[in-house]
Amino acid sequence: MIRIEHLAKAFAAPAGGRKGLRSASPAARIVQAVSDVTFTAPDGHITGLLGPNGAGKTTTLRMLAGLIVPDAGTMAVDGIDVGTRTREALARMGVLSDARGLYPRLTARENIVYYGRLHGMASDAANARAESLAAMFEMSALLDRRTDGFSQGERMKTALARALVHDPANIILDEPTNGLDVLATRALRDSLRWLRSPAGGAKCIVFSTHIMQEVERLCDSVVVVSHGRTVASGSVSDLLAQTNERDFEEAFVKLAFAAETSA
Amino acid sequence: MKRWLAVVTVFRKEIVDALRDRRTLLTVLISSVLMGPMVLLAISALVASLESSAELREVVVAGLDDAPTLRNYLERQTYTVRKAPDDFEQRLRKATLADAVVVVPKDFEASLQRGDGPIVEIVADSANQRSQASSGRIARLLAGFGRERATLNLAMRGVSPDVLEPVQVEERDLASTQTRATQITGMLPFFVLMAVLTGALNAALDTTAGERERGSLEPLLMNPNERWALVLGKWGAVACVGMLIAVLSCFSFLPGQWLLRSDTLAAMFQYGLREALLFLVVLLPFAAAASALLMAVAIRCKTFKEAQASATVVMLAASLLPLINVFSLGQDAPWYFWVPALAQNLLMTRVLKGEAIGMEQVGPQLIGCVAIAAIAVWFVARTLRSAAIK
Repeated sequence: MIRIEHLAKAFAAPAGGRKGLRSASPAARIVQAVSDVTFTAPDGHITGLLGPNGAGKTTTLRMLAGLIVPDAGTMAVDGIDVGTRTREALARMGVLSDARGLYPRLTARENIVYYGRLHGMASDAANARAESLAAMFEMSALLDRRTDGFSQGERMKTALARALVHDPANIILDEPTNGLDVLATRALRDSLRWLRSPAGGAKCIVFSTHIMQEVERLCDSVVVVSHGRTVASGSVSDLLAQTNERDFEEAFVKLAFAAETSA
Repeated sequence: MKRWLAVVTVFRKEIVDALRDRRTLLTVLISSVLMGPMVLLAISALVASLESSAELREVVVAGLDDAPTLRNYLERQTYTVRKAPDDFEQRLRKATLADAVVVVPKDFEASLQRGDGPIVEIVADSANQRSQASSGRIARLLAGFGRERATLNLAMRGVSPDVLEPVQVEERDLASTQTRATQITGMLPFFVLMAVLTGALNAALDTTAGERERGSLEPLLMNPNERWALVLGKWGAVACVGMLIAVLSCFSFLPGQWLLRSDTLAAMFQYGLREALLFLVVLLPFAAAASALLMAVAIRCKTFKEAQASATVVMLAASLLPLINVFSLGQDAPWYFWVPALAQNLLMTRVLKGEAIGMEQVGPQLIGCVAIAAIAVWFVARTLRSAAIK
């Protein structure tokens, strides 16, 4: 279970567009990437973090993974505070971040086992886990090939297996379907559904995206994020009811761009 | 305990990763490890050719037909006289002629008899090293001719030849064979230092800027490990690669020595197991510090290419600092041993000279290396998180 309350983060963006040499650099612009994000993602549940580009989804997930220290707010993973007990919290999370680079000179198995070892797993256990994950993602044939020539989908599967090697109770995915074709996307969806089921471990899955269909097809509940704040949350039907829309895309536009559309 | 497990895991992975980069590794091995012996061979070939031309006792003369007295003298000195080709000036400039040419004027014989002091030219091109080397030898030979003429003239007048030499000059060279050899082998420490740097360069950049460029640093930091453990593992691996190159290049001089063509040089260049081990005492800490420094420079760069550009500064510093010693002709100042790269260079030169090196010389560079490594590793660990997300 993941609980995030009133999360906020501002960055000092480098001043863009130099206006001649004589004027000193103008005061650094403050960009409020995240101003108030609040949601709870329960176990055995897929929570979609839906928002337009630049809404603050990636920043939120990076804060959850302990990469960025938030200015305000609290985050807890299974009751463990991320701010004070970061490593304990990380041990309970599997994060597929925006950056998902693999080591091209290592095989898929070595890539996966490396992370298993970093999570403190024994070598045998990590290897066994790599094999079972490979079976789940239908990539067993790739396991002992170097990741150098992998396709986008193959890379994504390897990165996902790497993130899940320590069998975390909480799974966080940042736009996992980016660059995947239809078949790979469907396979990923099936995997996530299985992980949510009691047989798959009833994981808590948080999943950020800007694609409506994915949310409609997969998520049990949706958190709509816009301009760095949570603007709505609930199941797809809840949100439709709330906005009096029958089409989810229309509902999303109403929720996410309320300020722009009303103005 | 668990922390050290992470260090070992990272270390192992980076070593495997570096060793699988066959092409880079091979380039480094060929360029840096083979370079030393190659230079040694080139030097020995040069020395051997200088020696052989000295042993040949040949002199190239233009216009000797007009100077039978001089020819007589040269032949009595058991020199073989070769006639200079007509275009000798051009050939000297083009370095196709390797000997200085003696030019005798047409009226040499007559003006010698008159006592007019005819002018004999020794033509060499100072850009043509070998002709320059032979010109000194020829000058001494001709001076001998002058002395002989003078002695004869004085003897005819009943004056003792000793009058000409009121002072006897004798040279005594205090340098040991090894010291003399360092005039030639002095550049070897420089090559070894550069070999270590280039060896560590690729691994250092790959584990820092490379990780950023691939986008693998961010996921790496999402594992529940302390940053210093990750950095320590990486640094250990990079340092090991650097040290491997150091060991290989130090020992590459041992077989290189057997190939020396010049006996004189082989006798002067005394590089055995003891020297190789002393080199390593100096080089291993240097490899560790240089690895950390290169990583610290590279972690700030987003791409491998950018990091290569920044690392050039480190390489340049390492190749320029030893020059401090070249520019100052005096004694080695104590602070030299505190300057990285310069200190290692000096110490290795001392080893080649066969001079004793004590703790007061090794100590400062050791402290310097430890300090550089510690600061650089600390900096990388501190920068790692902000580097991952930008």
